[in-house]
Amino acid sequence: MIDEQMAVFIGSGLRLAVPIIFAATGEMLSERAGVLNLSLDGMMLVAAFAAALTSWATGSPLAGVAVAVLIATSVAMVQAFLSVTLRANQLVVGIGFNILALGATTFMYREIFGPLSRDPIPGFAQLNLPWLTSIPVIGPALSHQTGLAYVSILMVVVTWLLLKYTSFGLAVRAVGEDPRAADKAGINVSRTRYLGVLYAGALAGLGGAFMSVADSNTFTENMTKGAGYLAITAVIFGGWNPWYTLGACLLFGFATALQFLVPALQLDVPVAVLLLLPYLLALIAIAGFVGKSRQPAALTLPFERGG
Amino acid sequence: MALLELSHLTKQFGTFTALDDISLGIERGEVHCLLGENGAGKSTLCNLIFGVHRPDAGTMLLGGAPLHPRGPAEAIERGIVMVHQHFSLVPNMSVAENLMLGRAKAVLKPQDIIIRMEQLAAEYGLEVNPQVLIEDLSVGERQRVEIIKCLLGDPQLLVLDEPTAVLQPDEIDALLGICRQLTLRGKSVILVTHKLGEIGRVADRTTVLRQGRIIETVAMEGADIRSLVRSMVGRDVQSAGSVLAATIDLEQDAPAHPATGLPSDVNGAPLVPEAAGDAVLRLSDLVYRDADGVTKLDNLSLAINPGEIVGVAGVEGNGQSELGLILAGLASPTSGSIVVGGQSLDGCTPQQITAAGVGIVPEDRHAVACIKELSLAENLFLGAIGKFSRFGLLDKSGRRKAAEAMMREFDVRASSSDVAMSSLSGGNQQKAVLARELSLDPLVFLLAAQPTRGLDVGAIEAVYGRIRAARDAGLGVLLVSSELEELMAVSDRIVVIYRGRLVGELAAGSFSREAIGAMMSGHEHV
Amino acid sequence: MSMSKLVLAMKRPKSMFGAPGAGFNLVPLQVLVPVLSTLIALGIGLLIIASTGGSVSEAIAAFWDGMAGSDYNIGASLNRAITLGLVGLGFIFANRANLTNVGGEGQIAMGGMFATAVALHGAGNLPFGLAFIVSMAAGATAGALWGALAGYLKAKRGTNEVISTLLLSFIALPLVYWSVESFHLLRKPISDLSSLPESPEIPDTTKLPLLFPDNGSPLHIGLLLAIVAVVVIWLVLKHSTLGLRLRAVGLNETASRRAGLRTSFYIILAMAVSGGLGGLGGAIMILGQQFYLTSDFSSGYGFDGLVVGLLSRGSAVGVVIGALLFGFLRSGSINMEITAHIPSAVVLICQGLIVIIIAGSAILTNRKSNR
Repeated sequence: MIDEQMAVFIGSGLRLAVPIIFAATGEMLSERAGVLNLSLDGMMLVAAFAAALTSWATGSPLAGVAVAVLIATSVAMVQAFLSVTLRANQLVVGIGFNILALGATTFMYREIFGPLSRDPIPGFAQLNLPWLTSIPVIGPALSHQTGLAYVSILMVVVTWLLLKYTSFGLAVRAVGEDPRAADKAGINVSRTRYLGVLYAGALAGLGGAFMSVADSNTFTENMTKGAGYLAITAVIFGGWNPWYTLGACLLFGFATALQFLVPALQLDVPVAVLLLLPYLLALIAIAGFVGKSRQPAALTLPFERGG
Repeated sequence: MALLELSHLTKQFGTFTALDDISLGIERGEVHCLLGENGAGKSTLCNLIFGVHRPDAGTMLLGGAPLHPRGPAEAIERGIVMVHQHFSLVPNMSVAENLMLGRAKAVLKPQDIIIRMEQLAAEYGLEVNPQVLIEDLSVGERQRVEIIKCLLGDPQLLVLDEPTAVLQPDEIDALLGICRQLTLRGKSVILVTHKLGEIGRVADRTTVLRQGRIIETVAMEGADIRSLVRSMVGRDVQSAGSVLAATIDLEQDAPAHPATGLPSDVNGAPLVPEAAGDAVLRLSDLVYRDADGVTKLDNLSLAINPGEIVGVAGVEGNGQSELGLILAGLASPTSGSIVVGGQSLDGCTPQQITAAGVGIVPEDRHAVACIKELSLAENLFLGAIGKFSRFGLLDKSGRRKAAEAMMREFDVRASSSDVAMSSLSGGNQQKAVLARELSLDPLVFLLAAQPTRGLDVGAIEAVYGRIRAARDAGLGVLLVSSELEELMAVSDRIVVIYRGRLVGELAAGSFSREAIGAMMSGHEHV
Repeated sequence: MSMSKLVLAMKRPKSMFGAPGAGFNLVPLQVLVPVLSTLIALGIGLLIIASTGGSVSEAIAAFWDGMAGSDYNIGASLNRAITLGLVGLGFIFANRANLTNVGGEGQIAMGGMFATAVALHGAGNLPFGLAFIVSMAAGATAGALWGALAGYLKAKRGTNEVISTLLLSFIALPLVYWSVESFHLLRKPISDLSSLPESPEIPDTTKLPLLFPDNGSPLHIGLLLAIVAVVVIWLVLKHSTLGLRLRAVGLNETASRRAGLRTSFYIILAMAVSGGLGGLGGAIMILGQQFYLTSDFSSGYGFDGLVVGLLSRGSAVGVVIGALLFGFLRSGSINMEITAHIPSAVVLICQGLIVIIIAGSAILTNRKSNR
């Protein structure tokens, strides 16, 4: 009985962590380049809706994912234009997009799906990877994930490689730390930041798509429920480092899964405590009580040459 | 054919004309100096060549082909590199990473960069450890990295913008040597400077800029320094007591005008005055360790008497900044004591220090002395915001009147006291800071750190005039400057700071550039 | 003029969004941009309504009705504007010290929660006047402490206040949820009629008196409080020594310290006042109109108030205009959904567009830093 509970818990924890892993990994790269995307939540929501809609219309969840990434990246493009070229306040733009995304997805959902909200949306099936099952404790849960979940880990590796071993990654790090120096060294600061934002958008697209076509096979209004903010929190908690961020996402995923486990185990822990736990942890981390985490020096600051 | 041909270049920033019809040719294999006061347009010209700005009119030709870089990347591609005053290095990345920045292929190959770096080190003597983080390097070492970075692409033209301001005397020699090496290999160097001594040692030709225009271009063989200065400033600077005149003489190793009547003994040996019992400032065994545990001040002891100017000579980075921060109350010494006029300042807040009669003109006025977004009036009374107020509300007209009075007394020029501090020229900003500090009551001691940095000649004279007047009125003045010649022209005695301690002291009348320079580099004066 | 030339011609903003408290040198542009953005956004909204087969005229009628169609609706709109305005004022106050408080949502939540708690546990027994004043004060204090916490972290540990206030918001909301979920805290006992997770109704003496008790308008004296707050904040920011000190600390902490200002104190003070205004806004929501606590009572007011603050660019008058705009929009959208069956999400779309358009056009209104 406990084993079964455990398996369910671990499986849920992983599942809930996946969209956060996608979004946080992309956002981490963007923030390393100095751009904060508060609109992450909005991008994920838009992606979730686009994936659901496309999958329902075409019957192919893969097409859903593709369209979701495309749409989220387009939103990111506009965000980049506003934040980098027009040098608008990144906070305002982010919140504006979130409001817009909530309104747009809710509206379109009601218009299109209103009467049909009972129809299930074609989604990804779970894979059953036999060679994973044999890992103790987490094996069964680990093997019963959808393919997209494994892609999320792949993206963490890809991002880490990008940052550490490519000149693009070097440029990203320089631009987020000291854009003036990077500019004098010949780096195109704007282009690097654009690419960072687009990267975050694409990955947010994957994260949002996961939520609707891999995780739950449906779309509900405001289904991200602040996952985007949680992802940003994970980046902070992870000290802008790809692996610690992954750890933070897993931690938050499990913290969210605990919300379901606790009543089942009939423990007398208020759900509220579990709800606020991720944010409290991040606050403690950012207050410097857990090691020294240094944010990219130029984060949220617009850049202008010769200013 | 000239390597770089500039024709009728003009550049405006808003209504301000930075460069006006500049035509100039840079030959291959020459060291070409750009001489001019601050604000003459030297940096702007370099920025045009390097692609940071685009000219409003005129053309540039590189090797006969048109040159209009849309950014530094293009300039670098064409073989033009620039060593900046504020380096183009990212602090929390390593030397190797910084070298790869902007020039690596898709995948980073640190090994290749390190090999290339070692080649250059051998050729030019520029040794640096590739793994070290930039923020852990000294200023001189950072400049070395900057130069290596520039040389990686085998450029044709190097532009150096005031490179020696932050170097020790022996590092300056090394740098000038590198410039010569480069020209031997057929490269050209544009060296921007306001130091006449350097021009004499390294330039093939010198172009003098004044207020955005070229006044003249001369070959250095047989050139007359004094006439260059006249071109640079626009008038003769022979007035008695003029600091610039003294500076020129000193740079030419002529005997210094006596700054004051302080005696030296018969043999010219320094006569160090015994610190009188009523010293206005007494530092005793001051020790300061920074956040990383590095000792920046190492048992520094000094006494300043009323009515004297004590100059502190030394290359930047030897503890002057930390001393300034401590005296301003922004940092606490690890141990040691500070006594002003008999009153101990240990553990005092900035407000208490000011109340004890300490005035500070800090080296970085934008960071410490004034808030440039605020108005001139607000800055003049920054330490006394409550002075012009009623029931917590500001008495703006009262403050304006007082500010205008100060402006008149100290010749601070601005269209009104309500304009933002940032719209004043550097010289007027400094005069405003001086006005504020010299108006303190009580005032017994003044620290002036790098007071003339970035100022034109007129402002420099005004600043030193005020400092001398303060000294004559009985103040004790501590003058910290990396402009050795100015110190020699103004101080009553000079102490030399090296690695956080005072390593030597000379009285006026026995100042010698060699002696002081040697002490600044850490060599014992024989 | 090409976009890049336009870009190159502007001076780099000093803070995240241009000089705080920028003056009115170009009055037309300052006012024109928000007005145009609103019109454009509303126009797009109407297009959307029309394209999905809804009746534009019905929509407009229902919208207008919801905003100002009756005394009740006007009163409700103004009530909304009060809370938004207080949060917006709090934002610009902290912003004067170059601090960005995005935690309005959490501060409202804490304010409402503590106001309810105090109202339910003793304030009801206080004489008239004191009852609701004490309850409001409790709410404001809770919000102030919530803001001061972020201020303390910034002053003493250098923690970025954007992040810390955001996180504190996400911590506060579950706390409110907890308080109405738990019978030990504020939840009302199960009765025959309902067992919803919400608090009992607060005693009558703790409810804010209505301004016009006879004509059915829910407008309460919170309006007077808000007006006083606007005037006081405006005075403090533009004409007081405190305002100048805050500005100095925000622009240059080192120079301020050198000039003798206790920078930590002012940072914490700014955040405390900012949070306190937000807390007051939350308290007023419960004490003035809702009268009992629910877990999501603050829904979106914090972010909307934040947007009002951001868009006002440091001006108290701007906050008033923005608060009225968003307050009335919200009322209109609610009624539009009920009466004309048009999803209020359309208004969300408009709101988002307004924000983005204004933010994007900041580059046109940015100019050299001035007072």
